[in-house]
Amino acid sequence: MRMHEITYLDGICQCLRQLLGEDDDVIIYGQDVGAFGGAFKATLGLQEEFGKDRVFDTPISESAMLGTAIGLATQGFRPIVEMQFLDFMTNALHHVLNNAGTMHYRTGTAVPITVRAPCGGGFGGGPFHSEELESIFCHMPGIKVLYPAFPSDARGLLHSGVTDPNPVIYLENKYLYRHVKELVPDKFEPIPIGVARICRPGKDAVIITYGAMVHESLKAAEQAVNHDHDVMVMDLRTLKPYDADAIIGAVAVTNRVLVVHEGWRSCGFGAELAAMIVERGFHLLDAPIYRVTAPDSPVPFAPELEDAYRPNHNKILQALIELIEY
Amino acid sequence: MLQIESVERSQWLSILRTMVRARLTEERLIRLYHQGKIFGGVYTGIGQEAIGAATTGAAQAQDLFAPCIRSMTVHLGRGTTVLGVFRQYLGRVTGPTGGRDGNVHYGNLEAGVYTMISHLGAMLPVIVGGVMARRRRGQDAVGIAYIGDGGTSTGDFHEAVNFAAVFNVPVVFLIENNKFAYSTPISEQFKCERLIDRASGYGIEGYEADGNDAVTLYFLTSEILERLRREPKPLLLECDTLRMRGHGEHDAASYIPESLMDTYKIRDPIEVMKKRLIETDVATEAELDAIANECRSEVNTAYQQALAEPRPDPGTLLDGVYANA
Repeated sequence: MRMHEITYLDGICQCLRQLLGEDDDVIIYGQDVGAFGGAFKATLGLQEEFGKDRVFDTPISESAMLGTAIGLATQGFRPIVEMQFLDFMTNALHHVLNNAGTMHYRTGTAVPITVRAPCGGGFGGGPFHSEELESIFCHMPGIKVLYPAFPSDARGLLHSGVTDPNPVIYLENKYLYRHVKELVPDKFEPIPIGVARICRPGKDAVIITYGAMVHESLKAAEQAVNHDHDVMVMDLRTLKPYDADAIIGAVAVTNRVLVVHEGWRSCGFGAELAAMIVERGFHLLDAPIYRVTAPDSPVPFAPELEDAYRPNHNKILQALIELIEY
Repeated sequence: MLQIESVERSQWLSILRTMVRARLTEERLIRLYHQGKIFGGVYTGIGQEAIGAATTGAAQAQDLFAPCIRSMTVHLGRGTTVLGVFRQYLGRVTGPTGGRDGNVHYGNLEAGVYTMISHLGAMLPVIVGGVMARRRRGQDAVGIAYIGDGGTSTGDFHEAVNFAAVFNVPVVFLIENNKFAYSTPISEQFKCERLIDRASGYGIEGYEADGNDAVTLYFLTSEILERLRREPKPLLLECDTLRMRGHGEHDAASYIPESLMDTYKIRDPIEVMKKRLIETDVATEAELDAIANECRSEVNTAYQQALAEPRPDPGTLLDGVYANA
C-alpha cells in the first residue's frame, strides 16, 4: 500500500477535496474560506479548483451561515460550514439545538449539514479563541459530534460526517493542525462514526480521552512506564454517539479509569462518561473514576495562566499514579 | 391600477375560499381550546388572513414559504388540509408532525412550506438557503418569508436579509405589521418610521401594502415575484394589519386599544374582499354564501374526524431523533 505523510490539517483539506470531487451537492462556505483559504488554511486552493460556486465566503453572520445551511440541506445539498473558531458558534446555537437538531424528529426532513469548528487552546488564543464546547453539543438531541485526534481520523471521520444524513459538529483541534503528522495510505478510507480506538494497550488503568488530550495522554502513559505502570489510552473519536461498549470493555480489562479532556470540569463530557461507567460497570471498578480537565474558569491568555489551566501530560501522569496506587 | 377582471374569477374565489376556511378553522380551534380539547395553546391569524391567501395565490409551485405564527392562510393556500390543521392542534398521530410538535409548528416541505420553530426570525436564513438551493438546481424559485413586526428586531432578521442581499437571493421578507409583539406596541420596538426604511440599509427595495386588502396585495405580490424571477434579489414588503385577538387564546389582548380595534374591524379582510368581488360583479352574494357554507361543512367534518383519530403511542418517543444513515 502506498503511503504518504500528512498533518492533521492536511487530512481535513484532503477530505474536503475528496468530498467536493465525489459529490456535486457538497458545498463549502464560511468566513474567509474562499481565495484566502480560511483562517487556518484548511480550504486552501479549493475555490480555485472547484469554483466560487462551490467554495465561497460569507458575511460575518454565524447564525445566517447555519440557517442557510439548514435550508440548503433540506433541498438535497450537503453544506459544510466552517466556523472560524468554535467560540463564535455560540452566536448560532439555536440553529443547531432547535432548528437542525429537532427537524427530523418533528417533520421527518433530514438535515445533513456539517459544521467544522476549530477548537482548543495551547497557543495564547485567550478566552474567545480557545474554547472546548463539545459537551454543549453532546447535550443536544439529534446532533452527532466528531472529534478526531490523528490525521487519518481527521480525514476519514470528516468524510463520514459529511455523508451522514444528520447534523454533524466536527471539532478540529487547532493545536493539532500542524503539530501532529502521520503516515496514511494514499487510498482514502472513511472512519466509521461511533467507534473508539485503543491507541495504546495497557492493563493497569485506562485513560479515556479525545482531541489534543489523546497526545498528552499518550505521553503520560509512556512516562508511567518508568513507574512500572502499564496504561491503556482510548481515543473516543466520536463523542456522540460515543462507543460505550468499547469503554466498558476497557474498564473490564483495567478496572481503573482516568477521563481526560481539555474542556471545563462541571458538566463536562467526562461527567457523562463517569456516570455511564458507574451505571454499566460499577462492579468492574477498583478505584473511583478520576478526571483531569480544565478548571471552571474562562480560558486565560498569559502562558503562565494557560499552562495552569490546560491539562497536560504532567498533570495526567500525576493523576495516573494516584489512581493506580489508590 | 390593474383591473380585477384581468385575473381569472376562479383565482379570486380561491383566495377568498382560503381566507374563509382559515377563519372558520381558527374559530373552531378557539372553541376547542376553551372546551379543553386542545393541549397547549392556540395562536390564530384572525384579521390577517388576506396576507397568506393573496401571496400564496400569486406564487408558483416551485416557490418556497417560511410561515410564521399568523400564517394559517399560507398553510391552506399551499395545500395543507383543514383536517391536517386539526390533527396538528390536537396532537394526533396522523398530523403533519405526528404529535411531535403542536399548534403553529407544522409545514409541508413537498409543497414548499417550511415548519417554523418558535424562535422568531430563525426560519429566515433557512428559507434563504432553501431558495439558494432551488436556484442552484436551475429552478426559477423565489421565497416568501413571513415575519411579524416583533420578529424584525431579531439578529436572524438582520443576518438573513443581509445574507440574501449579498448573494442576490430572491426572497420577499414580508413583515406583517400587526402593531404588537405579544403585548409590546411597535412604539416600543423600533425607532424608524416604517420598517421598510431599513431596506436601503441593506441595499434593497421596500414596499408597503394594505395587509387587509387581498386583491391589491395579490396584484402587488404578482408584480414583485415576477420581477424577482427576472432580477433575483431580496426585498422587504411591509403589510399594515392588526392582530384581532391576543397573542394566543390565553391572552385577552387588553393592551390593544378599543379604538384601534374598531379601525380594523371595519376593514376585516374577508368582508373587504367579499365587498370588492360583489361590487365588481366577480361574484354574487349568494355565491359567496355558498362558499362559506361549503367551508363550514368541511371544517365541521374535519375537526370531528381529527378528534376521533389516534394519539401517538408512547413507545414511539425516541423514533426519528436521528435520520437513518
